[in-house]
Amino acid sequence: MLQQKESKAFVILRYTIIALILVAILFPIVWLILTSFKPAEDIMVSPPHFFFKPTLDNYIYALQKANFLMFIKNTLLVAIISTTFVVVLSSLAAYSFARYNPGGGNVLFFILTTKMFPAIAVVLPYFLIFKEIGNTGIGNFLQIGLDKPGALIISYTMFNLPFAIWLMVSFFQDIPRELEDSARLDGYNRLQVLRKVVLPLAMPGIAVTAIFCLIFAWNEFLFAYVLTRDAARTITVGVESFFTLRGILWGPVAAAATISVVPMLIFVLILQRYMVRGLTFGAVRG
Amino acid sequence: MESAVIENTKPAMKKRKTISDGKYAILLIAPAMVIILFFALVPLFYATSVSFRHADLTMGGLQGWVGLDNYRTVLHETKFWSTVKTTLEFTFFAIIVEMTLGIFIAFLIYGATWGKGWIRSLVILPLAMAPAVTGLFWRYLYDTQFGVFNYFISALGLPWHPNWLGDIKLGMISLIIFDTWLWVPFVALIVLAGLQSLPKEPFEAAELDGASTFQVLRTLTAPMLAPVLTLVFILRTIDLLRLYDSVATLTRSGPGDTTETMTYYLYRQGLVFFRMDYASTMALLFMFAVIVASGFALRPLLSRLAKRAGAR
Repeated sequence: MLQQKESKAFVILRYTIIALILVAILFPIVWLILTSFKPAEDIMVSPPHFFFKPTLDNYIYALQKANFLMFIKNTLLVAIISTTFVVVLSSLAAYSFARYNPGGGNVLFFILTTKMFPAIAVVLPYFLIFKEIGNTGIGNFLQIGLDKPGALIISYTMFNLPFAIWLMVSFFQDIPRELEDSARLDGYNRLQVLRKVVLPLAMPGIAVTAIFCLIFAWNEFLFAYVLTRDAARTITVGVESFFTLRGILWGPVAAAATISVVPMLIFVLILQRYMVRGLTFGAVRG
Repeated sequence: MESAVIENTKPAMKKRKTISDGKYAILLIAPAMVIILFFALVPLFYATSVSFRHADLTMGGLQGWVGLDNYRTVLHETKFWSTVKTTLEFTFFAIIVEMTLGIFIAFLIYGATWGKGWIRSLVILPLAMAPAVTGLFWRYLYDTQFGVFNYFISALGLPWHPNWLGDIKLGMISLIIFDTWLWVPFVALIVLAGLQSLPKEPFEAAELDGASTFQVLRTLTAPMLAPVLTLVFILRTIDLLRLYDSVATLTRSGPGDTTETMTYYLYRQGLVFFRMDYASTMALLFMFAVIVASGFALRPLLSRLAKRAGAR
């Protein structure tokens, strides 16, 4: 694009519009966090209060009365274990696709196709299957079944695997093949090349992929909503528990939502440089 | 001396047990493929089998085979088609708004001379938000009494008191506004990356030739940006078609059933009314439509982009 000299008026106009857009984008996030620190009497008021005495009451309520600690624990458990599975399986597969391309692109494309499955179409059979498995001894032992964490771990592993493979292929492609060849000449066998040369070099890409998978698992709603009832509930679904018969408790909702959102905001800021690459399955490198 | 000799001969002495590249490659993808095949295809076959049976979970679960009856019932149902229409309407308008606004924002940021990094980091923040959780909170923002949106409207002195989530004319618009807020950063960010990766030379040459800004946009920028734009367009369309989270938490398919998308209807059929047979049938039809459409659309594009990226 041409970087023409812009007139001063044009520059001011550009930055004014950018500022307005930033306000529109950030305001709902800021308002969410502000609301989470508001005392109850400052929440259900018209006109809304912009200044107030901050309090932690909403957080205390959410964490103590509403079992929210358990939701956090469940979410962490499911997100971390599923991400671990995904990272191990997908880094091996992605390395293979990047180097040897088994199946000549068809297998890789089939993998992407499964990522395009509408979650709702998968969750119904999962519901029926997990309902059956949950009543068996194995299901009980492995904690797989309705309202058991294993069901979500399997679901998220399955859902993040295609994404992770695609993203990681793009990272493995960046590693010069010559390095591997010279390591082979030095007498390393294939596994040693993979362990001592390729994986250390791919570490940043693996870390980026892992964070993406954590975000997706942490933010997932539909599977958690359908496959859990109580004991295995996660944060995204748990926030709804503040919709009581007596009305919606916006303070605790905001506190719970803030707990759910803030770690992800930090992750996204860390991932900045890789966001484009991640969101396009590695196809566009930002 | 002795040890040096031993070390030197070691690699040669060790008999290399190697398997062929092809076998090694398959060995590496095997674990992931087993998981993907098992957990993607088993549910698919299961859903297919359910779609050919009578399955009312309130009345004894899976029962006898009924052939194509469920498909006939579903395809003749007006409700099914009205949710398809809602889904397509929502997708159509949302994609127009999101693409236009996203491209506009990308160009705005691209032309910015300072603070680009900061602007970019702030713009991408909605991408961190869980749609379900954020959608829930937006009910508070949209609230007619305590909502901050209506406060701003009245603060601007406008004589308008929209009932965002209660007025049947506004429900869909409220949903589109929310989805736009959540996903415009995605479009803007990727288009911006596309702009930044354009080669400099053709543009410099055009400048020397005295081409107008419009000419440059039409003959250089647009065609060179086309692959990225198409990719964003397709990825967004797929996500819009299968939108569920924000319908479930923000509008709850209301007001009335004006925002009842296919996914939401499917969910209700299967897990509220427990008609798993109808739900599975619809799920398969829906899945088939999305996969066929996205498969055809994405394949050439992704392979081209992947090649170009690999060449760098």
